[in-house]
Amino acid sequence: MAKTILVIDDSASLRQVVKMALTGAGYNVIEAGDGQAALALLDGRQINMAVCDVNMPIMNGIEFVKAAKALAAYKFMPILMLTTESQEEKKEQGKAAGAKAWMVKPFSPTQLVNAVSKLCV
Amino acid sequence: MSNTQDSATDARASQAFVTLCAGVLPIWLRQLESSRTQSETAVAQMMQAFADIGPHIHLAQTHAHAIAQALTQADGGTLGLVEACERTLVPLSDLPALSSEQRQGVAAVLELVRGAVGALQAIAGPITNETKQVADHVENMYRGFQYQDRISQMMALLAADMSRLQEAANAGGGPVPELEAWLTRLESQYAMSEQRDTHNGTSGQGADDSKETTFF
Repeated sequence: MAKTILVIDDSASLRQVVKMALTGAGYNVIEAGDGQAALALLDGRQINMAVCDVNMPIMNGIEFVKAAKALAAYKFMPILMLTTESQEEKKEQGKAAGAKAWMVKPFSPTQLVNAVSKLCV
Repeated sequence: MSNTQDSATDARASQAFVTLCAGVLPIWLRQLESSRTQSETAVAQMMQAFADIGPHIHLAQTHAHAIAQALTQADGGTLGLVEACERTLVPLSDLPALSSEQRQGVAAVLELVRGAVGALQAIAGPITNETKQVADHVENMYRGFQYQDRISQMMALLAADMSRLQEAANAGGGPVPELEAWLTRLESQYAMSEQRDTHNGTSGQGADDSKETTFF
């Protein structure tokens, strides 16, 4: 059965790029436009991994990671931060919140699929 | 001209400048937002087109790989077919009982098989190469599309800053925001090193922020 990846980004075009890369590699993708909308999708359904932007309106990516990690059912869900942020300070914030990896945009689909397959076991 | 007259002239000039800003900034804002939305729509449409051809490219790659494998496998592959024909037919053609015509017939069949397999191999190489090149180009295009997101982020940031400036211009007699504090606040909102470089007028690593994935 195909694994499901939750893609969170406020840019519709970026979500499309990520979705195309992941569905091409055989993953199911569900989408959310911000952290709060993504949290609403953590309702007990099977989600194997999340790919999350950092700078988003309403609820940013770091806040989402913290909130997701507080949910027992999703505590161990790996989260890859996919962002234009390249500052070490931000990376450390992501790591402290519980993210498993940090990838800077623009990314290549192969790079993304490799990282997802490594984390989504 | 007296000091009082100078002050009055300065005040009128300041007020005229504030009025100018208050009139121009909302238009800049609307144009910026409109351009941002249009670029987002254009990329979304282009992405949709690639979403449609993506599976076909993937399938072509899979087929090209299967063809190359089928040709190069020594056992069961097309090359194996040549070897099997040679193993079977070459000893046959050496049989003394065979007439000259029969020997020529066996040799002709062998040549046909070799020729057909050779032709297939000559086709498979370029197909594999071409499909790989197409896939590489598409991958580069996926990367290129993401620059729209960078531009969109910068435009949104500038729009927000223009909006703040507009509010400050409309505030009337309140204190004028201090330039250094304003610029520090603006710089703190940048996500990319290229934005900081542009802000400071320095040459950094440009648009290439991308590095290997960091695993924690």
